[in-house]
Amino acid sequence: MILTERERAQRKLLGLLGRGVLFAVTSVAALAVLAIIFFIARDAWPFFQQHGAGAFFLSKAWYPAHATPQFGAAAIIAGSLLVTATAVVLAVPPGIFAALCLSDVLPFGVRQVVKPVIEVLAAIPSVAYGFFALVVLAPLLQDKGGRLLAAAWCVLAVPVLSLAAVVAGDLLTPERLKGLAYRLVRGLLTALFLTAGGAVGVWGWRALTALQVPSGVNALNASVILGVMALPTIISVSEDALQAAGRELREGSYALGATRAETLFKVVVPASVSGMFSAVLLGVMRALGETMVVWMASGNAAQIPKPWFNLLQPVRTLTATIAGDMGEADQMTGSAHYHVLFAMGLSLLVFSFACNLAGERIVARQRKRLRGG
Amino acid sequence: MRMSTRKLLDRAFTWGACLAVGLMALFLVLVLAPILVRGAGAYVFRATTEYRRMMLDQFGRGDEAQIQAERAAVAEARRPLYEALDAFERSLPDLPAARRKELKPAFQEVREGLRLLLGPEPGEPLPALTRRLYGQTRWDRAQEKVRNVLCEETWDYSGEGEGVRVWVPRAPKFAGTALEPLFPLLERDLEGLLRPRLTFYPRFLTDKSLDIHFFGGIGAEVAGTVYLALGAMLIAVPLGIVAAVYFQEYAREGAVITLLRSCVNTLAGVPSVVFGLFGLAFFINTLHVSPGKSVLAGSLTLALLVLPTVIRASEEAIAAVPRAYKEAALALGAGQWRTILTVILPAALPGILTGTVISMGRAAGETAPIIFTAAVSYGALVRPSEVLSQATPALSWNLYNICTEHEAVDEIRHVQYGMAATLVLIVLTLNLTAILIRARVAKRLKG
Repeated sequence: MILTERERAQRKLLGLLGRGVLFAVTSVAALAVLAIIFFIARDAWPFFQQHGAGAFFLSKAWYPAHATPQFGAAAIIAGSLLVTATAVVLAVPPGIFAALCLSDVLPFGVRQVVKPVIEVLAAIPSVAYGFFALVVLAPLLQDKGGRLLAAAWCVLAVPVLSLAAVVAGDLLTPERLKGLAYRLVRGLLTALFLTAGGAVGVWGWRALTALQVPSGVNALNASVILGVMALPTIISVSEDALQAAGRELREGSYALGATRAETLFKVVVPASVSGMFSAVLLGVMRALGETMVVWMASGNAAQIPKPWFNLLQPVRTLTATIAGDMGEADQMTGSAHYHVLFAMGLSLLVFSFACNLAGERIVARQRKRLRGG
Repeated sequence: MRMSTRKLLDRAFTWGACLAVGLMALFLVLVLAPILVRGAGAYVFRATTEYRRMMLDQFGRGDEAQIQAERAAVAEARRPLYEALDAFERSLPDLPAARRKELKPAFQEVREGLRLLLGPEPGEPLPALTRRLYGQTRWDRAQEKVRNVLCEETWDYSGEGEGVRVWVPRAPKFAGTALEPLFPLLERDLEGLLRPRLTFYPRFLTDKSLDIHFFGGIGAEVAGTVYLALGAMLIAVPLGIVAAVYFQEYAREGAVITLLRSCVNTLAGVPSVVFGLFGLAFFINTLHVSPGKSVLAGSLTLALLVLPTVIRASEEAIAAVPRAYKEAALALGAGQWRTILTVILPAALPGILTGTVISMGRAAGETAPIIFTAAVSYGALVRPSEVLSQATPALSWNLYNICTEHEAVDEIRHVQYGMAATLVLIVLTLNLTAILIRARVAKRLKG
């Protein structure tokens, strides 16, 4: 096909034009995030101008509907942090264990079954989780909270404490003992630790069974459900990180005689620790930004629990406050109450950007290191 | 450490890891089982004669002659009850003053309980509230309500901590009065009074709700969810595909592209409630796309929310198209445009579809972004012609609403479960579709 000069120019021009349109559309999609920052900040600005940032971040007095309203969000921010931190603490150990299981323990066929389970867990709408928390879990916690927690403690403590006792007995038996003396000393030590562990276990069991749960909607309820919701993110991102560590690393370790657990915990996990860290960050973002579950399950009391780690008391979070109060503030667009909710949105936004940036940095650095930079 | 201990630890790890996966599956079952099982109860349940009467009156459904006959039979069965009530009321002035004082409030409670259970008494003026026009339409609720008639609810504070609820039968209290025969009758022959029959109510999905979900279905909510999810896709998918094509086929690595990419990544991390705030501040208060909340504003907000997912999925799908396809097309003299439109996009279509379907599930299930932009608590069905300006009820928001802010939360548990199950099923079906599409594509790629 031979084109005249003019046709060629025309084609080139059309191509450029198309390219320009594509670029424009793409920019719109990408710049939406800047628009979000701008508009949230624009509506948050009047609040900071009128009331100042000091009272917002430091005061615990949240009386937005008072005659002289007070907008101290410290208790609410603390509530958000408490619920998020608890959720992540609850979700990270099982999340990482599940990721290890998926990447190194389960055979391929089983993995193909487990993966959709994770996807389904991630796909269930948050309001359905909230409904579960409010209608199923909350009454259960309120009626049988102590026994439930004691059962969980049992399941967790019995294997962990007995393992710890066996390991401690092994480590503390002197190397030079042989034969009967060795077995005697080791047995005695192990028995000693087992007794101590048993005492701790019974103490925990007693303390937990005696626990009275005043209300089923509390920080613990919200945290447990948030933890479940953060699990899929944590599992899939850390599994990717574990896979990325590569086969050679594992084979080298096995060749040196390490068991699978030792290979994973002493070689593979340290090699992929940054990926796991970004998994945890994503989990934090998921839990912090979640609205419906905390709104329905946390009790919505703007207070810092006493003592601060008392998870059985109700708390209020930033997201739940925004969702719950905007209905009331709706009619008064432009009021201080309206603007303070945007200030909260801005705080959430800034925090999640910080998490995002940190995560991206870590991943980029890791990539560079793996490339051998 | 000794070898035996190391082996023990290794085995413990294996068990622990499998346990973690098991725990996750357990959570899934624990959350889904009650929602789906009790949610099915909104569609299949034992309906009483009151249900059939309500359906005939309000929706014009059912065989009228048959229902009238049943009504007559039921009225006959109920007559002794009302006769006992009347006889007792007539005998009330003759009772000694102390006994009258004791029995009168209890009698009122029994009478009110009967009204709730069986509907208004014969000859009584009809109540204004729809919910009081009929007795219990569901057999499970009726069995609960009959307890309020038969027994008195008291609290026992003798034990430790909070009181324990105790149901004290009323019959002994009324011993020797004209009301006495009412209690054994109710206890023995409740089935005859209400005639429960197993009923399948598939139109729960599409019926309008009566008297704020006391009767009827969730049609308005389902329609709202469908509008919002489809609207979001209509906006997000074209944008997302264009952006993905640009990133994959045109963009050269550079500062601008890096910036755009990290913008898209950041968008994925914005909390969903902040999207709602943005939708309110931008689409409604600044652009004024509609006078107030509307399906349009909600769809725009949801579209932004799912945009990163759509872009990422489409990019992956485009990147997975074998390079040879593209080179072959270019070698045949097709321009870049034609290559993209006729070769790359068709080949990437299943992948793009997977991402779209998953995003649609996400858009259908999200609540926080639509609270300030699209959702109303109690609303009628929105017609397709009104989506540009009307706010709509939606499954996600109304599920929250009827289980926290409804005036009779305990009375309509079956609707709450039904709504939750419907929402979960819609989302899971979409996800399952995506998983199936992906499996087929994987098979095809393998050859």
